[in-house]
Amino acid sequence: MLGCQDFCGYYDWTFHYMRRRFGQDAVKKLWAQAIAFDSQQHYMTAGQDNGLRGLYDTWVKTGEEEQCDWTFTLDEQKNVLRMDMRQCPSKGFLLGNDLNADEDYCDHCMGWIGPALEKIGAEVASHEHNHCGQCWWEMRIRDKPYQSLNLDIDIRKSPDWKRGYIERWKSNSRLPLLEQGGATDPCHVISDWFADIDHLTVLGRGPSAADNWIQGQTRDAVIVADPTYALRDVFDGEPLGVLIGDRPDKLKQVAKRFNATPPERRPLLMHMFLPSNPMIDFASEGLPRPVPILPLLIRAGLYTHQPKQPYPTTGTFAVMLAIAMEKQTTVAGVDLYKHPSGNMYNGEPPVTPGVIWPSWHTEACDVAHIRLALNKAVKPVYLHPFLEGLLQHIHH
Amino acid sequence: MARHILDEYGKDVLIDYWQSLGREYYGPRAERWRAGGAEVLAEDWRSYFLDEPQAEVRVSVEGGTVDLDIKTCPAIKHLRDSGRDILPCFCEHCDHTCGAMAQAAGYRFERTGGMGACTQRFIPITHTNSEAN
Repeated sequence: MLGCQDFCGYYDWTFHYMRRRFGQDAVKKLWAQAIAFDSQQHYMTAGQDNGLRGLYDTWVKTGEEEQCDWTFTLDEQKNVLRMDMRQCPSKGFLLGNDLNADEDYCDHCMGWIGPALEKIGAEVASHEHNHCGQCWWEMRIRDKPYQSLNLDIDIRKSPDWKRGYIERWKSNSRLPLLEQGGATDPCHVISDWFADIDHLTVLGRGPSAADNWIQGQTRDAVIVADPTYALRDVFDGEPLGVLIGDRPDKLKQVAKRFNATPPERRPLLMHMFLPSNPMIDFASEGLPRPVPILPLLIRAGLYTHQPKQPYPTTGTFAVMLAIAMEKQTTVAGVDLYKHPSGNMYNGEPPVTPGVIWPSWHTEACDVAHIRLALNKAVKPVYLHPFLEGLLQHIHH
Repeated sequence: MARHILDEYGKDVLIDYWQSLGREYYGPRAERWRAGGAEVLAEDWRSYFLDEPQAEVRVSVEGGTVDLDIKTCPAIKHLRDSGRDILPCFCEHCDHTCGAMAQAAGYRFERTGGMGACTQRFIPITHTNSEAN
């Protein structure tokens, strides 16, 4: 039986199923028709009958029944109904259970509230969410003067707000993901950033990233991991993209280099935002919020998040990313901790008696993801001979 | 969700959706059933229904077969209490979702009744084969 206890989990999976099978517009239609105009129809009825007050009463009742950690504020004089969500129970369920089937679960709220309000002559004046369970909304009746509220409980004043990545809406329309403008969809932000590039070089931090083979390859457009950007250990040039790993410990150095670089030469910062990892406060480290890569990997069919299971290393994620962008790709420094030098990372002393994989990664997981990406690659992928040899000899 | 998928894409897609849900989203649960056997499967359902408001269900195991005697289905009860229309094929989601989970775990799924009360059986496939033999 499909119960109510885990409906957020199978909703997340359902959104992914709809996207995968019928495309992006299908999930928007599902949100509008199945949620706004069916299961949440009582909001529209309340709004039609009593405007913002009707919506306020309905949301407050829901909040009491479901013990939501939110505050609704109604100011009819200013034509505004505001919500500040401190801990979304729905997204919290996914984070708590390490679930991430769909590209962006949080989008479904805008996906149903937007169309529902539109039907009753109202709209979402402003909305932001940080994908960590915090969000705020201001709703108004259309074509009437509206004034935004300045409240002490504004979730943006909470330290929690600094985590995650932000998506923004104004007047029912999604705004660019990056502050400097551009695409609204994180997948398009990434593909636009690398649009003029035919060939990408992915450099992991293994010893093969600095040997003669890779020195002889084209390295015009490079993606590195955050420690390389901080330490210049396997690449001294300006990378086009930096993939910040799951447990970064050099963010201050990353920020120092990033902020000292002229804006036009700065790399695109990217991150996995895996639900099982603590969400990082990039702002306090002096960095802009990175762009999420999971939406692109999920959309490209290269990644399926397995709850409470090992996930790929940052180098492997970078390989998947380049292949998801459909670029010719050269890969070095992804040595699966098996390099004959005994070094885990280039320039570091050998690990004796041998490298032990951390519990959240496994060789099998990395190998499976690299193989899947290679199978789905639409452009040539040139692996360092060492990695190519490993893939031929490892049987998982 | 089910009504939308049925109306927009038809019954075959709805069935595929339910089966895929069982195989993929509930895959880890089915794997626990497969690894742990009937007692684990039964305990999983006892625990699941404990968290479902208004559920009245008796779970028993006999000869490797797990029986769920659902006197009050919490899903149907919730829909009725909320005044929502119930799809005539609503109960089939158990056949396809639980059926897919059962299959992955090495069981066959049977349901008798529906629309608020039913019995569901998870019968080990090997058990069925030996009976047939």
